[in-house]
Amino acid sequence: MAPPAQSHRSPSPSQPSGKGEVSDLKSQLRQLAGSRAPGVDDSKRELFKKVISYMTIGIDVSSLFGEMVMCSATSDIVLKKMCYLYVGNYAKVNPDLALLTINFLQRDCKDQDPMIRGLALRSLCSLRVANLVEYLVGPLGSGLKDSNSYVRMVAVIGVLKLYHISSSTCMDADFPAILKHLMLNDPDTQVLANCLSALQEIWTAEASKSEEASRERDALLSKPVIYYLLNRIKEFSEWPQCLVLELVAKYVPSDSNEIFDIMNLLEDRLQHANGAVVLATIKVFLQLTLSMTDVHQQVYERIKAPLLTLVSSGSPEQSYAVLSHLHLLVMRAPVLFSSDYKHFYCQYNESFYVKKLKLEMLTVVANESNTYEIVTELCEYAANVDIPIARESIRAVGKIALQQYDVNAIVDRLLQFLEMEKDYVTAETLVLVKDLLRKYPQWSQDCIAVVGNISSKNVQEPKAKAALIWMLGEYSQDMQDAPYILESLAENWDDEHSPEVRLHLLTAVMKCFFKRPPETQKALGAALAAGLGDFHQDVHDRALFYYRLLQFNVSTAERVVNPPKQAVSVFADSQSSEIKDRIFDEFNSLSVVYQKIIVFQCSRSRPMTRTSS
Amino acid sequence: MLQCIFLLSDSGEVMLEKQLTGHRVDRSICSWYWDHAISQGDQQLAPVIASPTHYLFQIVREGITFLACTQVEMPPLMGIEFLCRVADVLSDYLGGLNEDVVKDNFVIVYDLLDEMIDNGFPLTTEPNILREMITPPNIVSKVLSVVTGNSSNVSDTLPGATASCVPWRTTDRKYTNNEVYVDLVEEMDAIINREGILVKCEIYGEVQVNSQLSGLPDLTLSFVNPNILDDVRFHPCVRFRPWESHQILSFVPPDGQFKLMSYRVKKLKAAPIYVKPQLTSDSGTCRLSVLVGVRNDPGKIIDSVTVKFQLPPCVLSADLTSNCGTVNILTNKSCTWSIGRIPKDKAPSMSGTLVLEAGLEHLHVLPTFQVAFRIMGIALSGLQIDKLDLKNLPNRPYKGFRALTRAGQFEVRS
Repeated sequence: MAPPAQSHRSPSPSQPSGKGEVSDLKSQLRQLAGSRAPGVDDSKRELFKKVISYMTIGIDVSSLFGEMVMCSATSDIVLKKMCYLYVGNYAKVNPDLALLTINFLQRDCKDQDPMIRGLALRSLCSLRVANLVEYLVGPLGSGLKDSNSYVRMVAVIGVLKLYHISSSTCMDADFPAILKHLMLNDPDTQVLANCLSALQEIWTAEASKSEEASRERDALLSKPVIYYLLNRIKEFSEWPQCLVLELVAKYVPSDSNEIFDIMNLLEDRLQHANGAVVLATIKVFLQLTLSMTDVHQQVYERIKAPLLTLVSSGSPEQSYAVLSHLHLLVMRAPVLFSSDYKHFYCQYNESFYVKKLKLEMLTVVANESNTYEIVTELCEYAANVDIPIARESIRAVGKIALQQYDVNAIVDRLLQFLEMEKDYVTAETLVLVKDLLRKYPQWSQDCIAVVGNISSKNVQEPKAKAALIWMLGEYSQDMQDAPYILESLAENWDDEHSPEVRLHLLTAVMKCFFKRPPETQKALGAALAAGLGDFHQDVHDRALFYYRLLQFNVSTAERVVNPPKQAVSVFADSQSSEIKDRIFDEFNSLSVVYQKIIVFQCSRSRPMTRTSS
Repeated sequence: MLQCIFLLSDSGEVMLEKQLTGHRVDRSICSWYWDHAISQGDQQLAPVIASPTHYLFQIVREGITFLACTQVEMPPLMGIEFLCRVADVLSDYLGGLNEDVVKDNFVIVYDLLDEMIDNGFPLTTEPNILREMITPPNIVSKVLSVVTGNSSNVSDTLPGATASCVPWRTTDRKYTNNEVYVDLVEEMDAIINREGILVKCEIYGEVQVNSQLSGLPDLTLSFVNPNILDDVRFHPCVRFRPWESHQILSFVPPDGQFKLMSYRVKKLKAAPIYVKPQLTSDSGTCRLSVLVGVRNDPGKIIDSVTVKFQLPPCVLSADLTSNCGTVNILTNKSCTWSIGRIPKDKAPSMSGTLVLEAGLEHLHVLPTFQVAFRIMGIALSGLQIDKLDLKNLPNRPYKGFRALTRAGQFEVRS
């Protein structure tokens, strides 16, 4: 279950053009085309294989189209398959020559062997040449009535392909009606599933053009159809099950009895080996119970175990995709997951993405009973080799501290971080300690004692330096050296490049000045002088503002700079509960996995147009 | 739905391209993907990536990238699971996966993809059914083709199962010796923290069955203690009701090897071995010692024990020796201590010194030790098979049971 080793990647190589080889092949194919000598099929096979391999590596072999078609009069099924593959790939660019293939494909559609009938029909529909559609209608019509389910299954998808080449031909032949009949009557579930997926696409596309089509589309979501599909769901193979479940998720039941019936029927799908089926089932459950608060909670309890199992089984890719969905649910209802926090512990081998999701989940599920353990765990990551994760976990500790009432233990841990003497740990911690002090001023004594020992020379990151300077200003009466540290910073103004730090320095010096005037006077003079001469507009403006304020009235200035402060009770939350509700529109969609959840973006723009394929 | 599938070699070359719908996907998407992958460096890519024109699904197996593209919204696991199945089926067919084997057998790969997905929607990924439609290129068929001069890989009959009511099985299997093997394979995931406390310990297990039985046999498997299982997942062949009411697995098995059930057992109290790392730094050097031993004797031999760890970048050199097994340090500073079987008479230990970068007094970044082991003959979760009943069989079959536990993600922090 270890992640696959990433190989050393180099830029993609240029592909060969292979002009000479293609003309070689051409003449060889010509020679074989008319030959009936024994063993000719074997030599043809070698040549076909070569052609396909060129096609595969990206050499254009479309010029061989004529020769390939000439050679295709054969009874050898391997040759046929290779030929179908070739023809399918190049017919679109050679519409005239494609006509040549129609003949042998149509003949194969009437072969005795159902496998050949199916393959030929599939290839015929994959030609995708608009002026050949008239030749499709006949074989498709008989394919839909074929006695073998394999051929019917291919024919149903063939109808969909025909629709995309020429919708009018498809509608004129009345194929959708035949599909509907098949869907409700065919004994084979794969045929049924293909009908469903074809009809969904066709009716959705047609709905804008005709009212009848839009009625038909809605009829797929009607009670009889949904129940018909649900009652047979166990006969479907895994992929069609996903299709049916997706349809059911859109169905609106009339009353709560119906909801319970559907959920009872589908409950065992949560135990399916295929993760796609499990997620689709979960989506149905969540959608159905959205308006029933207490049942909705029970659904969470029920789906928890299957989701956690899915995360721990399967490949890293699968488990990441499931984890993203779990993340979505945990963020919505952290309380329900608070006893499962150990599942979100990071393991050494996991990728950065996985660890980041897990850290976020650990942060939100923390409550009074598990905080101690979670924070202990997070502290272990802070000593991790992986620097980005170490940073993230310190931030996580800070976030937990801000949402808890009992922060005693956490503050101790944070202060221990400062003693680790790793610059990135110190930097992250300083920022957090600053936020903490704004919420819990009662901790200032303990924090200041430790922060006072940190030399500002060891702090380089602007955010951290700004935080340190803020604390120097805010708690200057408790920190012996504060005025002198600020003074040396102000005197070395030019060494500091970040405007953020300079702004904080100005304010801190002002604060310090009102608390310890005689000691700070020198620093204030240096800072204001440097600030007034600063090139950065904001820095310049703030320095000027302070200067004039002091000139105007010193006691007013003190009221402006050092007003009595109230502890911050709540930091602004980034997500409103209304947005969290919209999450369900996106559950089991791609956006959850590639981490650009549409509801979390400011403008709700579709990333890509919804073309039907 | 999926629009196209590409197979890329480990140098980014397109080995295979399968267009699935009328919306042709240009190959240039592969170069976009490859550049993106390079720009991410060593970091693992997310399984779904939004490129400027398509959503890409990607999984990497044995150096081969399976890439699928779509432009429409679809359930993410459908794409990912499908690619995983493709990889599994190919590796099953070709006897492993690598660049050469894919290039040599691309016709079969095309054939398989043809039956596995049509118009971008997955059809059959059940290996048993595929094997009946397309014969695997194994030695038997190679020999046969030389003898008969017929090298067709495509079987000339359609699988009976596509029409049968048990889609994972054909009805006409015949064996002279009827045999069925049931294996319990468990993986233990554990985290042991700095204080030596077992923070998390759980088992992910699978019941693997290899069935070679004639006709349509009906099997019932029961456990002594099914109540220890926290969550279970089943192969589609398992009937749900008997499990729900009596915790009995009742099923008509597919032919050959398959995964009948997977399960999870959480909150285990003890790991079978202990690993105790100790690091003490003093003025530029760090003394490292690791002790390994049996903690709660499972009663079976613990073997294939290895301890792996990555030395932090600030370690200049390391000199490590052990009283048991071998220690290997690679140039990328990853260390592997292979112990093998834990001896009865002495406790394996490894010790030595690490020289730190100039200017560093103490080691602040501490390594995590990843432990591997294997115990044959026991399922550490405690799960036990009670009995296996077979119905619908002409003669008494041979039944075999085995159990095995190995370390999954078993890590010890220091």
